[in-house]
Amino acid sequence: MMKPTKAAARALLYGIMVFYALTIIMPLIIMLSTSFKSNAEIFNNPFGLPEKFNFDAYTSLFVISNYGRYFLNSIGVTVISLAVAVTVSALASYAISKYQFKYNKAIYVFFVLGLFIPIKLGTVDIMLTMLNLKIFDTLWALIIVYIAMAIPLSVFILYDYIRMIPDELSSAARIDGCSEPGIFGRIIVPLVKPGLAAAGIISFIPNWNEFWFPLVLIKSREHFTIPLATGQLFGQFDTKLNLVFAVLSLASVPVIIIYLLLSNYFVKGLSAGAVKG
Amino acid sequence: MLQAQKKHARFLFMFIFPAFIIYTVFMLLPILNSMKYSLYSGDGLIPENFVGLDNYVKLFTEERYYSKFWNAFSNNIKFFLIVTFIQNILGFFMAVFVTRSFKGNKFMRKLSFLPTTLSVLVVGFIFKLILNPYYGVFDKVLEALGLGKYIIPWLGDPRSALIIVSIAVSWQFFGESVLFYSSGIDGIDDSILEAARIDGANIWHEIIHIILPSVLPIVGIVTILIFIGDFTQFDIVYAMTGYRGDPGYSTDLMGSLFYRTAFATTERGGWGTGMGATVATMMFIIVTVGVGILLAFFNRKKEEMLK
Amino acid sequence: MELVKKTILTMLILLLAGTMAFAGGQQGSSDGAGEKVKLVFTSWRTEDIDRMNRINAEFTKQHPDIVIDFQPVKDTEYDAQLKQSLAAGVGADIIFLRSYDSGYQIYKTDSLMELNSMLPELKDFPSAAVAAWATPDKVSYAIPAAGVVHGVYYRKSIFDKYGLKVPATWDEFMKVCETLKTGGETVFAQGTKDNWMLYEVMYSGLGANFYGGEEARQALMSKEARFTDANFVLAMEKMKELQPYFPERFEGIDYVTMQQIFGTGNAAMFMGGSWEIGIFEDLGGLDDVGYFAPPLANKGDTLQYCFHVDAGIGFNKNTKYPEELKVYMKWLASSEYAQLYMNELPGFFSYTPGSYTLTNDLAKQMQSYVAKSVPTVRTVWEKLSAQAPSGNELVGEAIQLMYADKATPEQACALVDDGLSWYYE
Repeated sequence: MMKPTKAAARALLYGIMVFYALTIIMPLIIMLSTSFKSNAEIFNNPFGLPEKFNFDAYTSLFVISNYGRYFLNSIGVTVISLAVAVTVSALASYAISKYQFKYNKAIYVFFVLGLFIPIKLGTVDIMLTMLNLKIFDTLWALIIVYIAMAIPLSVFILYDYIRMIPDELSSAARIDGCSEPGIFGRIIVPLVKPGLAAAGIISFIPNWNEFWFPLVLIKSREHFTIPLATGQLFGQFDTKLNLVFAVLSLASVPVIIIYLLLSNYFVKGLSAGAVKG
Repeated sequence: MLQAQKKHARFLFMFIFPAFIIYTVFMLLPILNSMKYSLYSGDGLIPENFVGLDNYVKLFTEERYYSKFWNAFSNNIKFFLIVTFIQNILGFFMAVFVTRSFKGNKFMRKLSFLPTTLSVLVVGFIFKLILNPYYGVFDKVLEALGLGKYIIPWLGDPRSALIIVSIAVSWQFFGESVLFYSSGIDGIDDSILEAARIDGANIWHEIIHIILPSVLPIVGIVTILIFIGDFTQFDIVYAMTGYRGDPGYSTDLMGSLFYRTAFATTERGGWGTGMGATVATMMFIIVTVGVGILLAFFNRKKEEMLK
Repeated sequence: MELVKKTILTMLILLLAGTMAFAGGQQGSSDGAGEKVKLVFTSWRTEDIDRMNRINAEFTKQHPDIVIDFQPVKDTEYDAQLKQSLAAGVGADIIFLRSYDSGYQIYKTDSLMELNSMLPELKDFPSAAVAAWATPDKVSYAIPAAGVVHGVYYRKSIFDKYGLKVPATWDEFMKVCETLKTGGETVFAQGTKDNWMLYEVMYSGLGANFYGGEEARQALMSKEARFTDANFVLAMEKMKELQPYFPERFEGIDYVTMQQIFGTGNAAMFMGGSWEIGIFEDLGGLDDVGYFAPPLANKGDTLQYCFHVDAGIGFNKNTKYPEELKVYMKWLASSEYAQLYMNELPGFFSYTPGSYTLTNDLAKQMQSYVAKSVPTVRTVWEKLSAQAPSGNELVGEAIQLMYADKATPEQACALVDDGLSWYYE
């Protein structure tokens, strides 16, 4: 009597899983396959795979819209802001986790509070500050904001990693006459590399996809990042559907590839945070 | 050890300083300064005339302002409720499913997080294109399934537009809840589950008495994150229904209201930078109060369960 | 550990690419600093990039040391972006300006050149057009560059199939609609998801014959008339009469989709603006596309033709290259530019004095109505959109509600009038 119910439960489970997987994959497949179709085919054959893979949309995208430039802008902004954010966060986390002083906990909380503060609400002031600093409409404006945005999460992650390093190592180094920055550079950093990587990777996604700040802070086409370019090109190509879908595919595929390569990091880093919280 | 540390106090300062200064100047101060701008008014980009609380008075007494504000606020509550329902409740059950042992569960867990890696903008655009009444694939699928009579102008009808927008956001972030909840479930001691199974507990029993209590703190975190995200959400509205929240402001959220009022020109719904800052300040208050309420609620739940 | 290595490698590659990007960026800017001067031209017409580049190439041919970089911004965001960039000192050199208050707001930020003495040619331009980009004291801050008209596009083949003739009056128009509907055609490509279209093209274009065109618009501005007056309500009722001929689920059809429906031959008519000729050309060619002006209320009426002052060209006061900009300015005010512009962008009508040949048949037809009409502009554009809530938004929203059966034509007009209370204070 048990057997059939169990089999049915299994079947139901697999059914749900297949359905769930389809809801995730289908929109992405539609996006990709449509980008390879001609405009006429999109109207006549919206379901099927493209008759032949037509790369016209992609080539014209790079030719007319300077897409390579937007891509490099995004990479530059993301890499610099993440590198700086992770570095300064590691320094700060080291100080608050390894030195005993009155305000350890308070400073830690102060940083982590940032996870709950929507920086968007300060946009009016950020815009005016960038104007005063004369970096409005430059990539530096984005870089600074993105560093600030990535600090809370990075401190949150790195604090734990660094705290778990046994104190004996640094004490021994101190006795050997190693300076404090030396201890950080030679002992702490090599040991928390996985933590640094996790912090960088987890901040990578929100940073790469961020649309609000470029929308407000960037005006010249040569400084567009991928999300801003996506928004603009979507309007510009609006009647040319294959181009529109190519724009969306180009904005998504690199992130998807990086995620698939490094997915264990995302999952580990994020779930650790959730369980702790 | 402590001795050594005293000697190194200046390093302490040096190490914390860079992160502290960037974080304070570009994250905390802007929010406070924006509050300051809410006390000013003026035509230019930088509001220059000090008007005290005038902007707030206007926002809540003049119909042209408060009608938009309360509309966006109530839309946002509906939006939050729908997203929370999908992400928390359905997400929880999905997490229970993907943590069962079956072939491919690793793959499913990986896959479920995939949409979260896309940009909200892209997700919004994809949904908009798929739901297009003329060439969108969704209507064509319904027709093929013989469900043609249920087709409505999804994003054109004020009754359905907000729901569709909420579903799009939930689609994207569903995987995040699944991930959080599954890691909570992973953390449950196997022996407890074993014991329950030996006692003949069925799946329902297991969910209610073992799984749910142990992931409840995570429910709190997820709900708070959804709350903050939803009450500052802008990209999805921008992509799917335009920053005016069409049709007829039925999908206007606090985030799109803020963008429009602070940064658009008068002809397109702008209210000037000062009023924009006022809206941002109100949003900050809403988010703070909301998070406070949610925290208190989930803490009480936690205590109740510890008893 | 394998994963860590992979991660670090990926990051390194990204870092390398990023550095290249920045190096590339610097190179790019040093290129521009060479002997060639780059002037940036901005507009809200993202569709026009190729065409504007061809026009500007002609200029560069004559002035090899000046390059014009056309950088349009999406229409809905254009005005806000412009205002911010000018305030930030990163504005383009050459700037498309909307007419009346919208452009005037930009002038008031003190970022535009005053053209009266720099460009004496302006006095030969039609004075009504000049006034659309001038202060009350007649200081001009833009060259009137383009006007657009609103009317109805139709598919010749579909009209022929039913033996239909172009309607001159509203009654004939309704009969055409009915015939097409009975025949099972999609009568209009129109949707109501984007409400600006409902106001700008439909109410201002097709409504003008009913509310009384320019005279009524002036009365509205001088506060002698209100939007709740019978003539404005009548025009609203006429809009409502069109609803049965909209396609299925029209509430979900946005502007772009409408263009696609009509452009690919899937609807018999499209109420649109003259700026759409290029789009229909790209979508399916123009051989099958015809045009007629807004139908008259009664036979023998004079056509109230919405010939909207669409775009002026202003010049950034804080430009780095005032001399070169002046050279380009002169060229923009020349009939040579006007002819090139109208060839490349049929449907935009230049105000520059001179005699021109229109190469596009649709543009010719559009213009052929001008001689026997009274020109007017969009109903609540001048003055009535200077504050929130703007007349522009109000009319669009009200019509959208009306089509959603949430408001009667009277109620729709009352909504607009209520919203405009700031104007009457």
